[in-house]
Amino acid sequence: MNVGIEAGQGLHYLTVTALAHAIAHRQLSPVELMKAHLARIEKLDPRLNAFIRLDAEAALETAKAAEAEAIAGHLRGPLHGVPVGIKDIIDVAGLPTTCHSKILEGNLATSDAVCVSKLRQAGAIVVGKLSTHEFAIGGPSFDLPWPPARNPWNPDHHPGGSSSGSGSGVAAGLFPMALGTDTGGSVRNPASCCGIVGLKPTYGLVSRRGVFPLSFTLDHIGPMTRNVEDNALMLEVIAGHDPLDPGSAAASGGRYCAALDRGAKGLRVGFVRHFHEVDMPAEPEVTAALEHVMRALQAQGADVRDIRLPSLGEFAAVNRVILQSEAWAIHGEWLRTRPGDYGKLARRRLMPGAFLAAGDYVLANKRRLEMIAAVNAALAEVDVLLCASSMDPACRMDRPAEVERTYPRQARTPFNVTGHPALAMMSGLSSGGLPLSVQFVGRYFDEAMLFRVARAWEQVSGMDKKHPPIG
Amino acid sequence: MQAMDKELMQALVRRAGLDKALAEFPDDVAAAAEQAAKVMARIKAPADPRAEPWPAMRPGDGL
Repeated sequence: MNVGIEAGQGLHYLTVTALAHAIAHRQLSPVELMKAHLARIEKLDPRLNAFIRLDAEAALETAKAAEAEAIAGHLRGPLHGVPVGIKDIIDVAGLPTTCHSKILEGNLATSDAVCVSKLRQAGAIVVGKLSTHEFAIGGPSFDLPWPPARNPWNPDHHPGGSSSGSGSGVAAGLFPMALGTDTGGSVRNPASCCGIVGLKPTYGLVSRRGVFPLSFTLDHIGPMTRNVEDNALMLEVIAGHDPLDPGSAAASGGRYCAALDRGAKGLRVGFVRHFHEVDMPAEPEVTAALEHVMRALQAQGADVRDIRLPSLGEFAAVNRVILQSEAWAIHGEWLRTRPGDYGKLARRRLMPGAFLAAGDYVLANKRRLEMIAAVNAALAEVDVLLCASSMDPACRMDRPAEVERTYPRQARTPFNVTGHPALAMMSGLSSGGLPLSVQFVGRYFDEAMLFRVARAWEQVSGMDKKHPPIG
Repeated sequence: MQAMDKELMQALVRRAGLDKALAEFPDDVAAAAEQAAKVMARIKAPADPRAEPWPAMRPGDGL
């Protein structure tokens, strides 16, 4: 098999769609593809720490089986032979799910999470388990059994989190797609910091079964890829009702790739300016990039108007009260008996739940209902919302005060609170050579609209062609 | 809400069973207590006391 590219050269930045197509048409060997990625991982991961556990031997064996199947004309599905990385709070049978924490060191998963099982059924090959903030909340931390992941655009900088290894590895070409989870923005933050595409789907669209919870009513599982089409393809594979997940939506998954190229003409876009202009004033470069995205969509024929929502500060507070109350119900016993086995950041971010009352949790949920109504009202006027994701480019990791300052400066938590689908992607590059970001938000289960507008921006901007200057 | 005073914090620590954490990581426990107090102060209570909380999960064809 030969894809027309010299041995391994350039394979690491091919898209999922291109790789799957080449494998399906016997132009590319899954074994050669896996070897190329393993070589790149060996070369770059010592600088990036995207992996907690690389499963090279099993990945190569599976690639050999995938090659034999492809030669025999048997393709498992649309991801046949394509490598995927899995955030280490998601179960992969036979591998530990550590949640990047000493608390769960050696916690062997006996079966695949539903999302992993669906990826495997579609032919994807799990290459390993990826770094995360501890329990998807405490990071970046240097007091854990494994080091934190780093940003391939500049390894001195934070890759975002909590799906840090997923963002870092996809951007660096260690694997073309990854799974992340998002409770307060943890798919969209690394997507924003690392310049890739990250989707938090509608609440309940992707099964949470087999994923270690952080907050039952805020947790989402989402695809992370280098372009919009791959993201849509990955969502097609992992979406769908799961009768054994009590939070699973009855709605079935959609055909998200079908309407990708319809463009922005005629779309009504609501620009939520007050998030980044008033509530949390963004860095000027971030603001300029958002204006650029808005004008680019206008130039394609979109009708852009301003939209107001509740303030970011209040969205964040509601998210925190719900998250910390639910997380306390998960971590309380370990925090009582093994507080020293958590890193400092996780300990500080998980213990507030001990100091919140039942009435606080109910009040936050009452306000949540009003916030849902506000976002639904906005989305009755427009087809999609455009807003900031991160208010700053990724900061240096060796400056804890700067990490602490910039970490909450984001507009992602609103859509965990409300459950609406939200996609973050690159809007440009900062003067320091780091990705800037934009976020699109849609109606419940209208991920197709998000992909459509995101694709329109991607095609006019060429953001999917920009890669970090590494390796 | 005011920042939590020390006596109240210690009472809540005992109630939550966090004595070990308080002994070993007093700064982290204090920071968590302060964060809980501050975050509640930022939420506006709905004007109508009859306002419903969102059922924790309401999966269906819509949400």
